Amino acid sequence: MSTSTAENISEFSFQTKYTTNRSSPMRWILSHAIHQWPSLLLAFIGAGGNAALASVVPIFIGRAFTEILLPEPSLSLIGRYALIIGGSQILRGFLQFGRNFGFEIIAQNIERYVRQELYVNLLGKSMTFHNLQSVGDLMARATNDVREVNYMFSPGFNLVIGSLNFLLIPLIVGPSYHIALIATPAAYIILYIIALWHYLTILNPITSEVRQNFGEMNSRLSESLDGIEVVKGSAQEEAEIELFYKNAADYRDASIEQGIVESRFLPMLLLGITMAAGLGHALILLQQGFINIGDVIAYFGTLSLLGFPTFVSLFAYSQISLGFAGAKRILELMNTENKLDQNTEGFGYPILGAIEFKNVSFRYEGQEHSLENINISIKPGQTVAIVGQTGSGKTSLVKLINRTFDVDKGQVLVDGIDVRDWYLEALRNQISIIEQDVFLFSRSVEENIAFGKQDATREEVIQAAKEAQAHEFIMSFEHGYETVIGERGMTLSGGQRQRLALARAFLTSPRILILDDSTSAIDSETEDRIQQAIFRAAKGRTTLIITHRLSQIRWANLILVLRQGRIAAVGSHEELMQKSKSYQQIFSE
Amino acid sequence: MGFFSGIAAEKYDRQYSDKRLFRRILDYFKNQSNSLIIIAVTLVIRSIIGAINPVIVARGLDKVTQETITTQFIFTLTGIMLALGILSWFGNFLYRRLTARTIAILIQQLATDAFKASVHQDMSFHDNYKSGKIVSRITSDTREFGQLITLSTEVLLELVSSIILAAILLQTEWRLAIAVFLLVPLLAFLVMRYRHIARKITREGMRAMANVNSTIKETVSGIAIAKNFRQEDKIYDEFDDANQTSFEVNVKRGFILAIVFPMLRTIGGIATALLVYFGALTVLEGFVTAGAWYLFLSTLDRFLYPVMRISSFWTNIQTGLSAAERIFALIDAEHSVTQVDSIAPKHLDGRIDMINVCFSYISDEKVLNDFNLHIDPGETLALVGHTGAGKTSIGRLIARFYEFQSGEMLIDGVDIRKYDLTALRSQMGIVPQSPFLFAGTVEENIQYGCPVCNRSEMLRIARQIGEGEWLETLPNGMETQVGERGSQLSMGQRQMVALMRVLIQKPSIFILDEATASIDPFTEKQIQSALNMILSDTTSILIAHRLSTVKSADRILVMRMGEIIEEGNHQALLSQGEHYAELYNTYFRHQSLSYVEEAKKFANV
Repeated sequence: MSTSTAENISEFSFQTKYTTNRSSPMRWILSHAIHQWPSLLLAFIGAGGNAALASVVPIFIGRAFTEILLPEPSLSLIGRYALIIGGSQILRGFLQFGRNFGFEIIAQNIERYVRQELYVNLLGKSMTFHNLQSVGDLMARATNDVREVNYMFSPGFNLVIGSLNFLLIPLIVGPSYHIALIATPAAYIILYIIALWHYLTILNPITSEVRQNFGEMNSRLSESLDGIEVVKGSAQEEAEIELFYKNAADYRDASIEQGIVESRFLPMLLLGITMAAGLGHALILLQQGFINIGDVIAYFGTLSLLGFPTFVSLFAYSQISLGFAGAKRILELMNTENKLDQNTEGFGYPILGAIEFKNVSFRYEGQEHSLENINISIKPGQTVAIVGQTGSGKTSLVKLINRTFDVDKGQVLVDGIDVRDWYLEALRNQISIIEQDVFLFSRSVEENIAFGKQDATREEVIQAAKEAQAHEFIMSFEHGYETVIGERGMTLSGGQRQRLALARAFLTSPRILILDDSTSAIDSETEDRIQQAIFRAAKGRTTLIITHRLSQIRWANLILVLRQGRIAAVGSHEELMQKSKSYQQIFSE
Repeated sequence: MGFFSGIAAEKYDRQYSDKRLFRRILDYFKNQSNSLIIIAVTLVIRSIIGAINPVIVARGLDKVTQETITTQFIFTLTGIMLALGILSWFGNFLYRRLTARTIAILIQQLATDAFKASVHQDMSFHDNYKSGKIVSRITSDTREFGQLITLSTEVLLELVSSIILAAILLQTEWRLAIAVFLLVPLLAFLVMRYRHIARKITREGMRAMANVNSTIKETVSGIAIAKNFRQEDKIYDEFDDANQTSFEVNVKRGFILAIVFPMLRTIGGIATALLVYFGALTVLEGFVTAGAWYLFLSTLDRFLYPVMRISSFWTNIQTGLSAAERIFALIDAEHSVTQVDSIAPKHLDGRIDMINVCFSYISDEKVLNDFNLHIDPGETLALVGHTGAGKTSIGRLIARFYEFQSGEMLIDGVDIRKYDLTALRSQMGIVPQSPFLFAGTVEENIQYGCPVCNRSEMLRIARQIGEGEWLETLPNGMETQVGERGSQLSMGQRQMVALMRVLIQKPSIFILDEATASIDPFTEKQIQSALNMILSDTTSILIAHRLSTVKSADRILVMRMGEIIEEGNHQALLSQGEHYAELYNTYFRHQSLSYVEEAKKFANV
């Protein structure tokens, strides 16, 4: 799938610095990494140079050793060797830093651009998508998974690429003394790759099991403690302890299993054997006069450079596979289809407020029908109360009107025009939805009210707040309209948040107001205010209220009783009192 | 989620003397002494191998330089190297296996003990300490402590190995050895300085990350609103700022982190160069053999990295030990509810007496003072009053969640302190204000207080309530997964499940702290009928928030500041026109049908 088309049809598009290939995690990461080529170049030069200069030490120690065993050793020559070693290691320090920092820059840049890409993509997704996706899951991908992609480069690729060069050194240095000396390092490399592959295939499922067991133990643990009153009240302490013991034992067993796999890390055994074999081989060549003692030392010294890739592979490869897993999850999210489009060519007239549902059926993906064969006709300016139990389809029904969702069958018409033929922005601009859980941004009260009308004056904001019966409680705050609301509006009660949302609606003055009202007033006085605010908001516009309030139901022009996705009853209060038995029951004491 | 959450001190934290702390820790290792011995042995073996490996190579080289070498010599040397390599791997194999095992077992024991202690703690403890923090003690702190053990053995290994090596070097050529050792304090100083800077920048990096995360969280949650008002650009800019800042700080952090190994490397390189020259000098002067010179050169690195490990070890040991201290403090925290006997009644009538009871949560704030109350078996009692009147405390004392300070509480005429708590509570049905469900099915949750109750019984009762309509609203009936903390169910459904729990348990005493959340009118009717089923034959204490509940009570207690100020039934109290009437006007008026009719006046404002 090419990115440009995907982004064009979405609800929100924004130019990112470059486009990426999202067909596979590997290609996607490459298409990000390629834009970091200057840093990549730096990192690769650093990695190669670092390894090459690392070999200078054993080579020149070997030469110094040869020199000192001569009958007439030259101290100044050894001094020269020492200078070469010192100088090369200082240079190596810079190159190694170049490698480390190069990969670090790549990692940080990729984290930044991946997060940005993901974020723009999320903004472009339809509300259908956002309504079905849990915030926790999105958060996990935008934070942890993006982090994993970062770690994949630094330390992951940094160590892997940095250490792979070290594998090559004995392979190059060895034959320079005698061609046969290639045998030991070559054998090591082959066996190392096989052993490592074997190790990782066994280790990966176990580490994920450990993680899963830990997660299970943890989530049940916090549940038990959060529900401690129920645990105690039901006298289930011993059962909970037993369950925890079992979960902790599962985690313990998985950890032990992981320890066993890690303890059998074969490349380390291979390294020990390689060192011994290399030394033996070199000594035989020495005995036969093919090489001198300094060569033996240099060769043995370069062999010990194999230690770096050997130990690094204990964790660096797992880091990379974690990164790929993260990349895969991010891609999955971004590649999820986006159904709704803006329809910029559509109708953009002022709405009068007539709404009609014609044979509408709709269901959430993968679930049973949540709405079936709905037919209703609402006149402009009417107030409609929608009543029913949770899961009866109340919320789905109203969300078809502003195209949060699209119908599967039938039609939703606003002013006689199918909502899909409206220009999305024009449609949504004139329909205001106040959700059950009113979301407020961590900004000032004023900014929250003016969110839909950025150029509103302070007077307009206050006027709207007064209409919504919010002015009084806002003024009771120390900073009044400047009060900054805590995260997710925690410092306000449900009723207060609802009234702020109503104030928002008064300011934007939508033609259709949809109110998911399930707050409850603790005291009668607050209830009075909420009633007043809602009745006022409903005036002069088509209003749909999903409500638990008997008074709202009682005084609505039209009452819609939903039961399991179907209309169980529809009509005015008087009609329903005659028609419906369950309706009568809720109005009996 | 704070990065340092769980580290903050709690009131029950205590300081253990080092001696006591180590004795506590040792207790947990008692059963694993065999493993510990093997770990110690492998540790010593590996240290020795690590130290003598280069020595053998160096001695071999000396031999090579001094005489012509035989094939037998080559095979002997290679054989020894091979044997040491294999032995070292095998030692590592045993060591890793056993430490993983020992630590896993230790963590499990510690965590279970800590969990057990916190479950047995009384409610006042849980009120005071957030569950998140207790969880972090049980899981994170135990893990941290486990890591301390791993780290300690590894540092010990390096330390022992370095000391053995140092002794060999000293014995070989003490002047050269001391010159090498001089590196240690220099490196230690540099590493300490570096750690200081690195910690600071890491903290900054974390803060920037946390900032990005909270920005994302806020905007992701607010995306629907942003879309509704077409404000995507605005929230994008906000995200972009945070993302950019995080990038800049983390590149800075990357710069600092990228420096340390090259720095050590460079110092090591320069030291090697110096050693090549001055070592050669000593060889020429005849102080040491060429092989010994090689030994110094090949072991120089061995003093480089341990310095870094050990200098950071002191901070780790502190975090590890304070983690241990936090776990033990949790395990040792004192209980306030104590029972003096363990009477286990088969059945209770449900007669409750509170005689001159004084109760306070914190020492000087009396919630109940000289409180007297008698409840007859089968009676339904509603408690009403403003917040803080002491209604909930009465329910909690009867459930024996809290300890009262003086007076007497009798259940069926027996001192409440003489009952076995588990037996007593299994005779009680308690529904807290926000009904709590555990992840699992609806059925499992209903069975929670009565594991032996079967499904047909549950279904029988479920169908008696509003013809079982609420069951039909659950997508998979009894098999419906409720999600973590019941999040997949609506508030009304959760309340129904909580009431079902009590219904199948058939308790003698029912304590309900009524929810204030609003529920659709159809479900509300069903909850009411479920409630009526319980009330009909159970002694019930209702902390009432709904008009219908208050009306269904035999007796209403109006409470203020821990005292009963009025008593009677709804009609009688209302016509008295005093405290109850005032409460009615404040809390219950809007729930009445006459209010609904009246609401029209708002419509015409």
